Amino acid sequence: MSECQHQWEMTNIRFGFVVFEKCSHCNGIRTFFSASGHPMVGDEYVEGEHTWRCMENAQSLQFDLQCKQCGQLEKFDDVMGFLYCTECLDDCKVAILQKKYAEKKTWVIVAFGFLPRRKDTELSPRRLKILEDYFNQRRDTSRSTIAVLSFDLIDDFSRCKGEFIHDVGMLSLEPPKERKPLF
Amino acid sequence: MDTEVEHIYASDLMSDVLAFGKPHSLLLTGLATRQSIISAHMAEFVGVVLLRGKVPKDGAEKFAREHRLVLLSTNLDMYDACVRIHAIRKRQRATPPAKPVEQSKEEILLSREFSIQGGDFANAGMVSTEVKSILKKIGLDPLLIRRVAISTYEGEMNVVMHARRGQATLRVTPQMIEVIIEDEGKGIPDVELAMQEGFTTATEEMRALGFGSGMGLPNIKNNSDEMEIESEVGQGTTLRMRFFIK
Amino acid sequence: MTVKELIENMGLKPLSQFDDREITGVFVSDMLSDVMAGAQSGNLWVTVQTHKSIVPAANLVDVSAIIISSGKEVPRETIELATKHNIAILWSELPTFELVGKLYSLGLATG
Ligand SMILES: [Zn+2]
Ligand SMILES: [Zn+2]
Repeated sequence: MSECQHQWEMTNIRFGFVVFEKCSHCNGIRTFFSASGHPMVGDEYVEGEHTWRCMENAQSLQFDLQCKQCGQLEKFDDVMGFLYCTECLDDCKVAILQKKYAEKKTWVIVAFGFLPRRKDTELSPRRLKILEDYFNQRRDTSRSTIAVLSFDLIDDFSRCKGEFIHDVGMLSLEPPKERKPLF
Repeated sequence: MDTEVEHIYASDLMSDVLAFGKPHSLLLTGLATRQSIISAHMAEFVGVVLLRGKVPKDGAEKFAREHRLVLLSTNLDMYDACVRIHAIRKRQRATPPAKPVEQSKEEILLSREFSIQGGDFANAGMVSTEVKSILKKIGLDPLLIRRVAISTYEGEMNVVMHARRGQATLRVTPQMIEVIIEDEGKGIPDVELAMQEGFTTATEEMRALGFGSGMGLPNIKNNSDEMEIESEVGQGTTLRMRFFIK
Repeated sequence: MTVKELIENMGLKPLSQFDDREITGVFVSDMLSDVMAGAQSGNLWVTVQTHKSIVPAANLVDVSAIIISSGKEVPRETIELATKHNIAILWSELPTFELVGKLYSLGLATG
């Protein structure tokens, strides 16, 4: 184990879209990050027993973190974006935690990983902690802090109206009005 | 290549560059994509400075070279870059250069057609680029060309974003330039409403993606001398823009 | 200089409610990714972006205030979210380039 008190820096920023696909047979939902400069448009396609159809593109950004002291690189290919909770659902665990944290002046952001959830792509507490460290390291934590939560806490993606932090007008030309639920 | 810079425009928002940028500006931006170079070209900017050590992407460099746009790069951030330029401005009193206005007296008659593919973001902006270089070769007033280029670009982007396919027609007569963009798209239900600033014709899905065309139509109206839209829901939209040659 | 002093000096229009605090420097960008990567705690962030996404981004890097330049209209939901997070949103009619000239003349440095 290194003794380095890592000082993280954002590197390798990728702009793109979180693409949500839904299977018309089993109603399964899966996601991927498309790093192309435009949203996916396409027809249904069959893959094994599934028939996938692109339901939604949410503009987003990905990045990695690198320690400026020891050079250690933490890749975050499996984080497709950062979602902020709009507290649209009262019974959502994120909304409940967000309200609780707000009293302690801790602001919540959700690291969004891949769907369907798989063991090998799970966002480990260690890696969520690194993200949290990155944001807290350079802020005055006596005023307020950041908590990075896993998207595992979102029970119902189909009703979630959380929004991805993204560059409005960069890949696209105009800001969205209000985002509807994903499905 | 030395070119006179008349204004500085500091922004990462290309819709702003198209709507509010003044000709002969230098664009300071952190957005290093080809779309930013195309936007600067359409708005008749002299060049683009990429900030914070950004590297040009998606053929941005090639586009700049082909269209003789100055493309510079600096490690400065936007604040420092603006500050340095303010310092230069203070030192030298800017004398606006006399703009040579050359009017072509020849009889021109030209008609060209281009096809636009919906969803083809990789080639978005290519038709307006072509239109601009054709008009440049004819030797028309650069400010007139700029108005045509911006309007055509907005119209072209609308097809790319909203329609399956479309066609652009460029006609030049001694009196005017006419650009017609027809598409096979969803159509606009209420054209009058769509003309209002800030209104978006985008569908729910499109809005979720961050798309809309609120800037587009009013910006075309501001830049053209005459504009007409005919639209039928489910069929498509025809946009006619006319620019008078004085 | 504090946010309230800046407002007085520059004649900026405050849109949200916030607690006054010290400004550590200035960061200018319309790209949220740039802000998340480069802005420092207490920085003043100048942008033409008005979508409510700017508030969580500003929050992540602990900016002291956001100045919306070029007279852009700010949606009410952005202002409400900023008030909720105690982030100052200030408004100016000046384009970004001119605004920076003024900030610099007040002695503010880059972040
Ligand atoms: Zn380290
Ligand atoms: Zn299935």
